[in-house]
Formats: sequence, C-alpha cells, structure tokens
Amino acid sequence: MALFFQQTLTGVSVGLVYATVAMGLMLLLRAAGVMNFAQGNLLAMGAYLSFLFMEKLQLSSGLLMVILALAVFVAVGCVFCSVCFLPFKHAKWPQAMMICTIGAGTVIQECCLLFITAETRSVRPILAGSLSVGGFVIPYQYFFIFGAMLFMMTGLFFLFEKMYCGRVMSAAAQNKYAADLLGIPTNLTTMVTFCIVVCMVGFSGWLLAPVYRVSASLSNFQARAFASVVIGGFGSLKGAIIGGILVGLIEAYSTYFTTTYKDVVVFGCLLLVLAFCPQGIIPSGTKKEKA
Amino acid sequence: MLQIENLHAWYGAIEALKGIDISVHDGNICCIIGANGAGKTTLLKSVSGMVRHTGTIRWNKEDISKASPMAVNKHGIIHVPEGRLVFPGLTVYENLEVGTISWHGFIGRKPYDEDIRKVFDLFPRLEERRDQQAWSLSGGEQQMLAIGRGLMARPKLLMLDEPSMGLAPLVVEEVFKKIVEINKQGIPILLIEQNARLALEVSDYAYIMEQGRIKFEGVSKELESDERILQAYLGNFKEEA
Repeated sequence: MALFFQQTLTGVSVGLVYATVAMGLMLLLRAAGVMNFAQGNLLAMGAYLSFLFMEKLQLSSGLLMVILALAVFVAVGCVFCSVCFLPFKHAKWPQAMMICTIGAGTVIQECCLLFITAETRSVRPILAGSLSVGGFVIPYQYFFIFGAMLFMMTGLFFLFEKMYCGRVMSAAAQNKYAADLLGIPTNLTTMVTFCIVVCMVGFSGWLLAPVYRVSASLSNFQARAFASVVIGGFGSLKGAIIGGILVGLIEAYSTYFTTTYKDVVVFGCLLLVLAFCPQGIIPSGTKKEKA
Repeated sequence: MLQIENLHAWYGAIEALKGIDISVHDGNICCIIGANGAGKTTLLKSVSGMVRHTGTIRWNKEDISKASPMAVNKHGIIHVPEGRLVFPGLTVYENLEVGTISWHGFIGRKPYDEDIRKVFDLFPRLEERRDQQAWSLSGGEQQMLAIGRGLMARPKLLMLDEPSMGLAPLVVEEVFKKIVEINKQGIPILLIEQNARLALEVSDYAYIMEQGRIKFEGVSKELESDERILQAYLGNFKEEA
C-alpha cells in the first residue's frame, strides 16, 4: 500500500510538470500557430540555470536567484519569439516556423553545454530532507514542485479568465487578422506569450533538476509533454493538464512491472488513445479553435 | 470626414485598386457597391493599413495614408471585417470587452460598462447570449456581435464590410435597421455591399466599383432610379421579386 501511495505521489508530481510543459506547448500552438520543438531544451535550460546559480556561482539569496532567472527567461523568450516567430509570420510555408524551433532547441542545448557544464551534474534540492509518514517518504522538493505547478496553473487561469490583458491575448491567439483590425498589438501579445511559456517551462526545469539531475537528456520531457497534449485533447488547456497528470501516473504505475520499458508503456497508451479516441479525452471546447 | 484620393493598392504584383477617389461626409451613410473581386474589401483594408497602397487618405484633414492598423484605430476608424470574424472561443461579453482595446490599452482598468450597456440596448439579443461562446451564435447574432465589438471601440467612422453576407433576408433587414440606428447616433458609416438595392435604400451617397475603379457615383436616391444602374446591378433583384 505504501508503495502505491509513493508511486501515485511521484506520478502526480511528475505529471504536473508534464502538464506545465504541455500547457506551454498548447499556449504557443494557439498564439503563434507553432508546435514548439525546443520546449524540452527550454526545460533543460531551466535545470542548467539552477546548476549555474546554485552550484557554480554559489548565489546565496533565493530571491536574487529567482529574479535573475526571471530576467534570463524573459530575455530568452523575447529572442526566441523574434527569431522563430516574427520573421516567419507571413511565410508561405507554415512548417518553416516549426523547423526554426528545432534549430533554436539545438542552439539552446549547445549553449548550456558550452557555457555552463558539459557533464551530468546534481543540484542540491531547495530544501533537503524528506517527510516520512507511516512508511512512505516524500522529499520536500516534491512539495515545491506541487506548489509551484499549482501556482502557475492558477496564475494562467487568472490571467486568461479574469484579466483584461489575458482576454486580449486569447483574442489575438484566436484570430490574428481580426485582432489586428481592432488595434490589438498582436506582435506584443505573441511575445508576451513566448515569455510566459519560457518562464513556466524554465522554472519547471529548475524544480526538476534535483530530482532528475542536470543533463541535456532532460529535453526528453518534450516527447512526454507532446503525448500529454494528444491524450488530453488538442486545443484545450484543461486537456493538457489532465493529459499531463495521466501520463505521469501511467509512467509511475508502470514501474510496478518494468522500469526499463516504462517509455514503451507510456507511448503504447498514446497509440491506443490515437487509435480509439483521436480527439483526446477532453475534446476542444470550441469547434473553430481547432482549425 | 474621410477623404481618399488616387488610391492604388497591390497584392504582390497584382494591382487591385487603380486610382480610387471617394469621400465620406460626417453623419452620412456612404455605400460602395460592386461584384466579387471589384476591390471593395481592398479599399477598406487600405484605409485600415492592412494592405500595401499609395495615394492619400485623409481623416479630418490629417494624413493617415501611412498609418499602422493600430494608429488608424486610435483615430476612431473602425473596420468590421467581412465574414464577421468574432473570436470563437470568447464569450459574447468578452468579445465586446476586447473591442475596447484601442482606447483602453493593453494594461489598465478604464471602465467600459456604459459602452456595453449601449451595445446591449441596441442588440438585446446579445444580452440574452451574454455568456455564450461566440462560435455557438447564429450568423446574424455573430454579425451583430461583430458590429457591437466595433461600437465598443467608440468609433468616429464605422466601416462595415458586407454585413449581409450569408444571412437570411429577414435577418439582413434587421441588421440594416440597426445600421441606420447607429448612424442616427451620429456615427458616419462606410458600408460595403453586394446587395445593391438594400444598400442604396439605406445610404445617402453611393459609389459603384468595377475592377478596381469607381464606375458611377451619386446620391443614392438618384442612382436607385438610374436606368443604367438598374440594368447592371438591380436587374436580378427585380426578376427575383
């Protein structure tokens, strides 16, 4: 029983990270119309940044680190947007943008390896130690992951459901032409979306670093986030969240039977969903949004 | 008053407008009639700065030929696009809210309750559908929403691109009644239509476009009885009736 709880907890917390990365994919897909293949590399970048700040530079103040990281993420978001989105806005071949993100991902990864560290490193958790309740153990880091992911999700919900600028951003995402005619600064809204996504994904990587260690292979999360988007249903943020948590749980429970082949289980489920329920578990709320 | 002189516009190498002169006077409804591909929509897009063009466009003596879409909006020239293009995933209320962007700004909290009240008074049906997502509305309701969204921008000139497109005749009549009502509040309207008879009926002055040029122009009441116009543009409608 303890093992079951343990697995569920691991599954949900990793799932929440998948969900955040998947939500990032979804946001960019809606706002810029691009499937971002650099998402995993951005996640790894967050982890590398945590190594840089905590181990290499030995910064002591947590607040300082967060502010610095935020600055880096926003800068990366702006550069990413101006390199991958703005030049291809009117491109005749829409895949150009997607391929550009693949290139950007490689650049981000190589920069991390070159300037930060080329070896796999471990990072101290934000708060060492763990809480043990009746046989099962929760490292404190997991609480941080939980808390941060829930914070980001409520933040996104608040932004898009309650705030004027969020509404303007979703309007621009839904129809660029009409938004331009209304005088919505669509380039600005897209750039803000890129920055938000880079921050979300970057901080997720930051929090994952102590659990998974810092290495370029963190970018493999990309594939799982993609699986989450498909399983949850293309087009809705809610779907991305539910899909992410599901993928995390599937992965955790599959370690009951096998640890080597847990990817096979996850992507096997993806294939099953594609075969029997291709619109995902939560179909997109609006008919037109999919288009 | 909007004045357009010698306007040319291009899509790539294709010249869509070949020298257009029109003016819209304060308080008037001015309509532009023409078949598909005559360049009516391109004309509006040029005014809103969405298409490459040359020539002068003046708004109350101020030159806005080179203005960006955002700057044109700031002047109060609001373009309600062809095919409505409401934001499908937002509710009716949210669509209206977004319409205020040109004077509200991206961040801030200027109140717009009064504007929404006015739109709901004009289109009571939108108030009934207040919290429905826009994609679930009927075509007529979407057109009303698109016009309402334009009104939220506090227009000083409203440019409507084919508000009758794809709507049932009864609904078209309702929409046109509302257009006249909006005009009575003092907002000049530049109306683009294929439905020539209806457009001439509600407008004060009309231009007839053909292949990127103005073919005829005149006071709508006179054009309505002009033999040549009747032949070329109203013939079909008479047969149908």
